[in-house]
Amino acid sequence: MAKGFTLWFTGLSASGKSTLAERVRDILLERGMNVEVLDGDVVRQNLSKGLGFSKEDRDINIRRIGFVCNLLTRNDVVAIGAAISPYKAIRDENRRLIGRFVVVYCKCDLDTLKERDPKGLYEKALQGEIKNFTGVSDPYEPPENAEVVVDTAKEDIEASVQKIIATLEQMSYIPATDGRGYSEEEEESIKQRLRDLGYI
Amino acid sequence: MRFLRRRKRRACVVGLDGVPFHLLKRLADTSVMPRTAGIIAEGGLRQMRAALPPVSSVSWSSFMTGANPAEHGIFGFTDVAPDSYQLRFPTFGDLAVPTFWDRLGESGLRCTVINQPATYPARRMPGAIVSGFVALQLANSVWPAEHLPALERIGYRIDVDSQKARQDPDGLLDDLEATLETRRQAARYFWERERWGYFQVVVTGTDRLHHFLWSAVEQEDDPRHDRAMSYYRAVDGFIGELWDWFHKEQPAGQEGEGFVLLSDHGFTGVRQDVRLNAWLRESGYLHYAKDDPTSVADIAPGTRAFALDPGRIHVNVKGRFGRGCVEPEDARELRDEIAGRLLQLECDGERAIARVFTREEIFEGHKLDLAPDLVAISRNGFDLKGTTKGSEVCADTHFQGMHTWEDAFVWSRLPVPDEPEIADLAGGIVEWLCG
Repeated sequence: MAKGFTLWFTGLSASGKSTLAERVRDILLERGMNVEVLDGDVVRQNLSKGLGFSKEDRDINIRRIGFVCNLLTRNDVVAIGAAISPYKAIRDENRRLIGRFVVVYCKCDLDTLKERDPKGLYEKALQGEIKNFTGVSDPYEPPENAEVVVDTAKEDIEASVQKIIATLEQMSYIPATDGRGYSEEEEESIKQRLRDLGYI
Repeated sequence: MRFLRRRKRRACVVGLDGVPFHLLKRLADTSVMPRTAGIIAEGGLRQMRAALPPVSSVSWSSFMTGANPAEHGIFGFTDVAPDSYQLRFPTFGDLAVPTFWDRLGESGLRCTVINQPATYPARRMPGAIVSGFVALQLANSVWPAEHLPALERIGYRIDVDSQKARQDPDGLLDDLEATLETRRQAARYFWERERWGYFQVVVTGTDRLHHFLWSAVEQEDDPRHDRAMSYYRAVDGFIGELWDWFHKEQPAGQEGEGFVLLSDHGFTGVRQDVRLNAWLRESGYLHYAKDDPTSVADIAPGTRAFALDPGRIHVNVKGRFGRGCVEPEDARELRDEIAGRLLQLECDGERAIARVFTREEIFEGHKLDLAPDLVAISRNGFDLKGTTKGSEVCADTHFQGMHTWEDAFVWSRLPVPDEPEIADLAGGIVEWLCG
């Protein structure tokens, strides 16, 4: 039975893709899975070094990440891609290529992103110092078929992580927390509910 | 010239957990539920048998699969681990056969299912699902997770707070109304948002009301009778809304077709609890390894039978259970002996047990090995319990209502057998939608 799949984080710069990818990676590693993260920023320093931010270059970059994710996935590794990946067509192309493909859309409003702006990029983009900046001077096409949508402006990190993990469990891409289905704490809660109704 | 497109059929199923046939009929006849009265006026309301044993997890699992418990593998809210006898709690993932929603999905129909018990944690299905009892966290109750923020905005409540219900009956009534309102809002959200061919919503507040405040439902002089009826009016309003939404999109002349009302078991008043493990102990079939047992995991060697809720008796057969001591060839004789003695059990000067079924009489399927050897059905007023607490066989209870087996109901214009059982309905629904 196939164990690998690709978890693909998409969203604007500073929307929380890398943070969530790392948190999810840690949880999956703890659960004994083989995991690799392909972070857009890191990939651009090696695999895609020299590529710019034109639509053509962005497409090449996302295709390359998708290509590697596919290799990992078919070898039973959980591949986590975290890249802005603004264009629907290329994301869908990767979905078709990989098959076991779960999209997490990191939604976040522009005001919050400008406030966060950890690399000062939004400020520079708004002042015209950076061209083709997604969300400011370049388009972002939100996914319509994301398996998970996290609103990082409103949710805290743990809530978003839980949503992602729950989805992966529901899709049976990862086993539930406990072989019997419930943790000890959950079993206690269930016992209490059953007692409350006289069922045990 | 254009080809005429065949209009796709749709179905809407409304579940009323624990509402007995006789009660629904009375509330319809006495104008407490006028919308329901209008729906059932032209006939089609039938008394229906729940699955055995008659608890929601078993009955709804039989409904959603159209299968016998020995096929779907759910025999109660609890099971025991064969080696340790520790209680375990079956999940939606333990369902051993596909749901009919899965079958509809294979035919290209999307399903929306809200609050059906025994569907936790939510899993991928063709459409959307919000799990019902014993759902714990909302995040694990919703598939796909993209619907979670909307449910959080509604303030969606999975269930009422049953822990508080006993101490605060008025608070329970408030809670029931508030919970029903969020259920209604969730139904509206999914109705509009999802492209469904099959829609199902289950109201579980009715079951909670009956457990704690059955006399308020049954007795006109009960101080909370008006509020209980007011809750039923709200339930009726919800049924009416669903009927109206459904018929807005139905072609003329098809009124009621594809609309189904049902309950998963009946209800009646309770006089006493009947503790089957205390009876088995008193009768020499069961021994405990300690004075204050907390579960059947505390049985001592030499125990020949033990009980699980609500009326399940397992013979402690060697090879089937870790501390089994009954030789397999002796199991049937012992089982028949227990069944015979159980029928003589009296509480409050009356026989407490109405029937005792053997597993072969009622179960059929590849999970038969996991089935209880006997399933007892009590007479009305005597609620069978699998607790290991207390040495008295007949004991007072703080609950007012208890489940019944033969008094569930169904209303449907789809073909339903003359003496329907809840597992019979799935086939008719699939046939209607896909046939």
